[in-house]
Amino acid sequence: MDTLAKLQILSGAARYDASCASSGSKREASPGGIGNTSQSGICHSWSDDGRCISLLKILLSNDCRYDCAYCVNRSSNDIERASFTAREVVELTLEFYRRNYIEGLFLSSAVMQSPDVTMDRMVKIVETLRQEEQFGGYIHLKIIPGCSSELVRKAGLYADRISVNIELPSQVSLQRLAPQKHKDAILEPMALIGREITSSLIERKADRRAPRFAPAGQSTQMIIGASPENDFQILSLSQGLYKKMHLKRVYYSAYVPVCEDSRLPVLASPPLLREHRLYQADWLLRFYGFAADEILSDDLPFLDETFDPKTAWALRHPEFFPVEINRADYTTLLRVPGIGVTSAKRIIAARRFSAITPEGMKKIGVVMKRAKYFITNSGMRFEKPVRTPAFVRQQLLLGEGRATEPPRQLVFPGLYP
Amino acid sequence: MKAMKRYLYDGTADGLFSAISWILEEEADPENVVLAEHEQALFEDGFFINTDSIQAEQLFTRLRYRAPDAAYTLYLFMLAEKGGMESSLLHYISLVFTHGDKVSGYLTHPAVRDIVSTAKKAGRELHRMKGLLRFEQLQDGAYLAKMEPDHNIIQPLASYFRTRLRAQPWFLYDVKRRTAAQWSSGVLQFGAIEQFITPALSADEKKVQLLWRTFFKTIAISDRKNPRLQKSNMPMKYWKYLTEKQGE
Repeated sequence: MDTLAKLQILSGAARYDASCASSGSKREASPGGIGNTSQSGICHSWSDDGRCISLLKILLSNDCRYDCAYCVNRSSNDIERASFTAREVVELTLEFYRRNYIEGLFLSSAVMQSPDVTMDRMVKIVETLRQEEQFGGYIHLKIIPGCSSELVRKAGLYADRISVNIELPSQVSLQRLAPQKHKDAILEPMALIGREITSSLIERKADRRAPRFAPAGQSTQMIIGASPENDFQILSLSQGLYKKMHLKRVYYSAYVPVCEDSRLPVLASPPLLREHRLYQADWLLRFYGFAADEILSDDLPFLDETFDPKTAWALRHPEFFPVEINRADYTTLLRVPGIGVTSAKRIIAARRFSAITPEGMKKIGVVMKRAKYFITNSGMRFEKPVRTPAFVRQQLLLGEGRATEPPRQLVFPGLYP
Repeated sequence: MKAMKRYLYDGTADGLFSAISWILEEEADPENVVLAEHEQALFEDGFFINTDSIQAEQLFTRLRYRAPDAAYTLYLFMLAEKGGMESSLLHYISLVFTHGDKVSGYLTHPAVRDIVSTAKKAGRELHRMKGLLRFEQLQDGAYLAKMEPDHNIIQPLASYFRTRLRAQPWFLYDVKRRTAAQWSSGVLQFGAIEQFITPALSADEKKVQLLWRTFFKTIAISDRKNPRLQKSNMPMKYWKYLTEKQGE
């Protein structure tokens, strides 16, 4: 089989991995080598589904020993199988990088003979790129659960980011849909990576030349909608991963039916809106100082489809509002619907010069359409104070007579850390 | 209201900055001054300020020393090659000397907003082109990338690629402005191109391009097709030179 045919099979098999980030790592180019990385990450293209392409995202092989119900590469699925040689992956990466098609390589794989054999081959490829070819671009390496900790350590020394996919949000679902995968085999390398990252940071403080371990951190991914967990369970899990395992990102991937299986739900279309709402809630966890049990609870286990999670929270907490724009602190401003991280920072910066007027709010970029129900401006309200949450809900929904736009599906590009 | 004082300059960048330098020194309240390009009209209202490139240079040195971030904002603003904003520029620079780098947070001021938002647009396109630029391998082994950006970003873009792709010789060519950058044997040079002759591609180039186009197609999940999102992230004006968008 030639490289082109393999590329078709092995990029097609890798496309369900949501991660495309190329951010969080800053490496200077080596004198004789090719490539560097940029802290902010760079998107190089956007595919027909609107998702950003920044890495050459491929599997080393799709020839899988496992039989996970949700996966296109499951061993019982009758599809064409292919495996790259190490040289092919190295050449593709370099040829694409020289033409500025990509920021680097995202290498994952199906489980071939054993997790160790597979991981060993993946690590060798990355080693060749870094050592022989002096490649300084971004590398994201997937860890195959069950491989030895020695290989995980090696992977972290060559890659910018490493990730272990958690796949499904609970042990029960994992057992049902991916019987060959075990929760412990997934969480163990995650914890190991977390420890290695921390100790490498400490060592580098003492000695600047100490080796870096996965400088862009670790991430994970779970499939949404293939198993019965609710959003509250999912968000609580994510919160735990961010807080206890210090993950950089948790990716949510709306389940796309790729094979028939009685254990899987029948969906008319992938749950894209649910995925979008989960990402919004994830942002609230990471950048807005929200806790999972503020956004959802056992009585309210699913995210509102009509409103974004912050607006939904604000509507449930009328006692928190109105917020005075010219006096509230940063964390309070962040809780106002229509004010994001950027505009909250801008409000704080602009207040140093003069009090902010309603006109100034628009200039700063506050979405007044949403914010006006929740703020005062130097004591002045934009809406009558008697507005009940029910009324605000209706106004926000109807957009004051105009038809509301259908919610846009977003996959956040790699610009963000 | 007090009448605005009107000054004119010769239309060059040096003229602009030496005029600003002069006004900041002579005028007590630069906020009450209008600065515009001299238009060769017979009866033009305003006082013409002569160009002094040393004074312009000195102003920039002082700016860089006083407020390096604001100086970078001004650099990006100049890449936008946007006319008609001389007064905003004057007011902005005057504010930089009072407030330093903090000035960029003063977004409620119209001049600050004008300058910062224009600079931001140039900065955004620079960042975008770092990703969207496509090189093709030529017969002699060098690489060529063509582009038509809205802003004049060839200089910062070339210095970005000089570190990233330092091991290969390459050219950048701005088709709209007919300017080019050349990186070869460790030297980066800029110049104008009188007549551009499309050079022949290397023997393998088409093969690599086909690989990339194939990857581009198969990486998309067809159940999630979303051309609107694709276009909003990657406006169609950039498609002309994108390898993956050729022959569609």
